[in-house]
Amino acid sequence: MEYLIHILILICLYTILSASLNLIAGYTGLLSIAHAAFYGVGAYVAALMALHLQSSFLLNIICAIVLSGLLGALVGIPSLRIRDDYFVIVTFAFQVITFSILNNWVSFTGGPMGLPGIPQPELFGLKISSHLGFLALIGFFCVVTLLITRQIVLSPFGRVLKAIREDEVFTQAAGKNVATFKVLVFVIGAGMASLAGVMYAYYISFIDPTSFTVMESIFIISIVIIGGAGSFWGPVVGAIVLVLLPELLRFVGMPSSIAANIRQILYGGLLVAFMMWRPRGFLGEYAFQNKEARE
Amino acid sequence: MLWQLIINGIIAGAGYALVGIGFALIYNVGRFFHFAHGILFTVGAYTAFLCNQLLGLPLFLSVPVAIAVTAASGCLLNLVILGPITRRGGSPLVLLLASLGLYIVIQNVISLCFGDDIKTLSLGTIEKGLDFFGARVTPVQISIVISSAMLLIAVALFLRTTGLGKAMRAVSSNAALAEVCGISSRRLVLYAFGIGSALAGIAGVLAALDVNMTPTMGLNALMMGIVAVIIGGSQSVSGIALGALLIGLAQHVGAWKIGTQWQDSIAFIILFIFLLLRPEGFLGKKIRKAAV
Amino acid sequence: MSHRVLEVKRLGKNFDGIKALADFSCSLQPEEILGLIGPNGAGKTTLFNVASGFIAPDTGKILFNNNDITSAPPHRITRLGISRTFQNLRFIRQISVLDNVLLSFQDQPGEKLRNVFFNWPQCREQENSNRKEAMTLLEETGLSHKAGDPAEGLSYGQQKLLSLVCCLATRSEVLLLDEPVAGIAPERIDQILRIIRSLPEQGKSVILIEHNLDAVMQVCDRVIFMDAGRKVSEGTPEEVRNDPRVIEAYID
Repeated sequence: MEYLIHILILICLYTILSASLNLIAGYTGLLSIAHAAFYGVGAYVAALMALHLQSSFLLNIICAIVLSGLLGALVGIPSLRIRDDYFVIVTFAFQVITFSILNNWVSFTGGPMGLPGIPQPELFGLKISSHLGFLALIGFFCVVTLLITRQIVLSPFGRVLKAIREDEVFTQAAGKNVATFKVLVFVIGAGMASLAGVMYAYYISFIDPTSFTVMESIFIISIVIIGGAGSFWGPVVGAIVLVLLPELLRFVGMPSSIAANIRQILYGGLLVAFMMWRPRGFLGEYAFQNKEARE
Repeated sequence: MLWQLIINGIIAGAGYALVGIGFALIYNVGRFFHFAHGILFTVGAYTAFLCNQLLGLPLFLSVPVAIAVTAASGCLLNLVILGPITRRGGSPLVLLLASLGLYIVIQNVISLCFGDDIKTLSLGTIEKGLDFFGARVTPVQISIVISSAMLLIAVALFLRTTGLGKAMRAVSSNAALAEVCGISSRRLVLYAFGIGSALAGIAGVLAALDVNMTPTMGLNALMMGIVAVIIGGSQSVSGIALGALLIGLAQHVGAWKIGTQWQDSIAFIILFIFLLLRPEGFLGKKIRKAAV
Repeated sequence: MSHRVLEVKRLGKNFDGIKALADFSCSLQPEEILGLIGPNGAGKTTLFNVASGFIAPDTGKILFNNNDITSAPPHRITRLGISRTFQNLRFIRQISVLDNVLLSFQDQPGEKLRNVFFNWPQCREQENSNRKEAMTLLEETGLSHKAGDPAEGLSYGQQKLLSLVCCLATRSEVLLLDEPVAGIAPERIDQILRIIRSLPEQGKSVILIEHNLDAVMQVCDRVIFMDAGRKVSEGTPEEVRNDPRVIEAYID
């Protein structure tokens, strides 16, 4: 039962991460492999504040979201001037630099040793100590995230995002300040990812940089793509599939020493397979096809 | 001291240039960022390891075998996966993602087969560094710089003088036009993969001989190669060489001041500066967003 | 001399040594339909690109109702009141015909995030009102039966019509139409020309690039003939057609 709760928590975590990246990459067409950086910043801000300032759970969330949002804006700005495939490299660079900072600024972040002893979250005086309680908490945030993305996607703002994805030139000619939309979507996506980071930090109560590497970013974008970029339920489907599949293999008797490798082969392989046969994923409507703005 | 750092920087740059040239070749002809190029670097090293340490072949045989296997693997990736995706209308982003997936799969296969521990590939003798005007250089390091220089010149000559090379350059500037002129881009892409992957394999073997090898070694080499290509301009061999040299020097001289753990960051900060001020690189063509 | 809606003053633009625009000047009167004709490469579309903010000229300036818009970005120019269509037909294929039109409305509260979350009733109200207006536009142009379909399913002629409808939805004062009737069936040509002819009555002014000289004769009040980035002739359609310099340029 504990195991099932753990799995559900992971699914909620990755749903938040992939739904937020889906806004950036799926709806707006800005392919990014920097998402684990926002995830990590969220985790570290919450952990550092909880450990050094003993600040409240809610305040930590707010600070994490704000800082991550600013970082998101920073990442979004190059997308205004740089073509989409080169932009992927830029996001790659941001990811590596952020990891570098988390891993090497030992005096502040604890470096490779990480930050242990993160206290349990406390909400309105109630300490959340059981895994079931935590599942309720993260489940709540997961639903909130999905509701927020739904509100955005169904609004005129969301319509502009989809237009930008396909033809920025036409969208500008339609009177929309494309730059504002792109930066904003990065801010929102980054903020939501950092929320997942906060949850992760409180759940595991110990964080280190190895959870926030390039590979993790690639895992998250794989969820978005396999689930279906640009679809609302895609991130949920993707998260369920990519969290469950490795676990199922473990049931079939796969030794845990190779579990990590097999998991990566699985999502890497699925990524290749989908790119070969169904780039829009299970449910998606966007297959990263050629944009009209290219020369 | 500074001289030693400069020498180290040049050696590092030489390695990056080799990876970068192969990457650029594939990008120019295939028109997408081939992330799996990085794992071919690793494949080169581990194939040499397999032949030399596990099969007992002497190095002078293992290395060519490794290069051949790497070239063949690159071609295989193109034939079986990336080529078909292109023909089905896959955009550069789709190909990038597929290549990324391939990188992950192959890295983990290597990890499963060989383990994650640090392995070494050695010449068999304990090397004493040679003295080069006050700096220490090992024979392997000298061969890195020399082979890199020779291969870069060879590639430049190939692109400029041979029919195949000129065809590749034609395709890089205008694929549609080249097709009309009867140049089959499919075969060219295959050749680009072969040559590019072979270069990556050579770089991997040399890196393994110089330092050591782990399954993740290719990622870093790839990143540096990509930065070299972007700041140097993907269509210029000399630009890439300059870019690689700049990164190698900046990293080693910079590491002296702020520590080696920031080497990657140094390279990427240089990348940002170039992307902001001169996205086409030293000598390259524009990559800014198109206008109308 | 009455007030000029759009004033182009001595524009110059060089592309890698090719002079796309060379000391080009013209003006657009209110409620006028101005035709822009000339051989390919004459600089007509470049003029549109500069006027709509997508390209910055090397020299010269453009005034819109006496405001200098030379360096304004495209989205601001549209908001100020100049909209355009594209020669290679741009619209959003993946969304519906109706959504394309809705996209083109200006000042939508729902495009601002703070309204999306904190003022949803206002967004909803404006969206409904825009929707009605969009459907009216689509009905008037005979596209309403396709409103919910993905825009990529339209025929080429319907796509051209959609581009025009999107321009109308921006409620802009000036429309820059790039080959609005090229390559489509005669009935569709008539329909589009009728719409264009009705625009001055609504207070709008139009500049129209076309190779279809019949269309230009039918619809335009004035015509400018361009060649190699320069204005070669200007006047009524009749005057320009009979101008020996124009005849010579076409024979070349």
